[in-house]
Amino acid sequence: MRNEIFFDFPVTFLFNKRQPYRDNKKDMDYKYIEQLMERYWNAETSLEEESILRTFFSQKDIPAEMEHLRPLFVDEAVGETLDDDFDARILQAIGAEIATPHSDHSSENVVKAREVSLTQRLMPLFKAAAVVAIILTLGGALQAPWDSTWNTPDDYAAIQQADTMNVIPVQAENFSTTTSDSIGVMQTDQPKN
Amino acid sequence: MKNISFQSDILPLKNELFRMALRITQNREEAEDVVQETMLKIWDRRDQWAQLESIEAFCLTICRNLSLDKLRRMDNQVQSLSDDIDPTDHSHGANPEQVAIRNERSEMVRQMINELPERLRTCMQLRDIEGKSYRDIATILDITEQQVKVNIFRARQAVREKYLKNVEC
Repeated sequence: MRNEIFFDFPVTFLFNKRQPYRDNKKDMDYKYIEQLMERYWNAETSLEEESILRTFFSQKDIPAEMEHLRPLFVDEAVGETLDDDFDARILQAIGAEIATPHSDHSSENVVKAREVSLTQRLMPLFKAAAVVAIILTLGGALQAPWDSTWNTPDDYAAIQQADTMNVIPVQAENFSTTTSDSIGVMQTDQPKN
Repeated sequence: MKNISFQSDILPLKNELFRMALRITQNREEAEDVVQETMLKIWDRRDQWAQLESIEAFCLTICRNLSLDKLRRMDNQVQSLSDDIDPTDHSHGANPEQVAIRNERSEMVRQMINELPERLRTCMQLRDIEGKSYRDIATILDITEQQVKVNIFRARQAVREKYLKNVEC
């Protein structure tokens, strides 16, 4: 890929330089490189120009008389990299650190997580208790009117009797003896007025 | 710099850090140790990552300081440095083609660079190999841009001069 970049630039170079085009394109490239090198020694080159030099010197084929300059731009150590074992070692060292209490961030999180899980764990219990409480309350509430109703007509009559007895005298006057329930009373009462 | 991930932002810098450590310590094992220490140190300071302008510069600065420490310790061990800098150390150039390409002269240039004072050498490494701007180098070395330029100029002049002298011989 680097080589491609390099072979692109002489095209622009042709327009910039006054030198006539010669058959040997390579010679020209090297002239340009030589010029760049001259400016390089004087620390006058820009980053871009130096990257051209870097690209040039990372090619396989460079003139023998320039070969010695290669180490200036291409660290032979390029092939010398740290392998994946290194990554694994570092990550392990870091992972080990996370596991130890040294890392206070993570230990805080653990405590926090435990608190949350406790509440969450009890949540179904709370819900069950709430459901039971609601059932009991509703059951009790339903039970009360149920108790005061009748199972046999005799019971009903007795209740009715008790109700009638409790009615204050003024109201009782209006009750006919045949009145079966309070609604009936209201119905028979209204036409009178 | 937001959301810096160790694995995707810092670990990939290992080779760049390694090259720098290698240039300073000139010893493969020591350089690897330095990079490892650098990584762990950076991890310990992970709460500062978000405030950094450039995590790369930060890593390189730490790496350089650790390399210099290491170099000092190595010197104290009265260990002849030349034993470590085996100029024909091909442990890394396992590729036979590369070994073949490398000739005596390029070895000379390498040697010359290695003989430069550390600051000049590091400036040159960051500029010519890693392609860093003057400003970045200034940040990494904690010196002014002008000083960086001067260092690079001196380094190049020194190499050129020595090289020409050697060629004439």
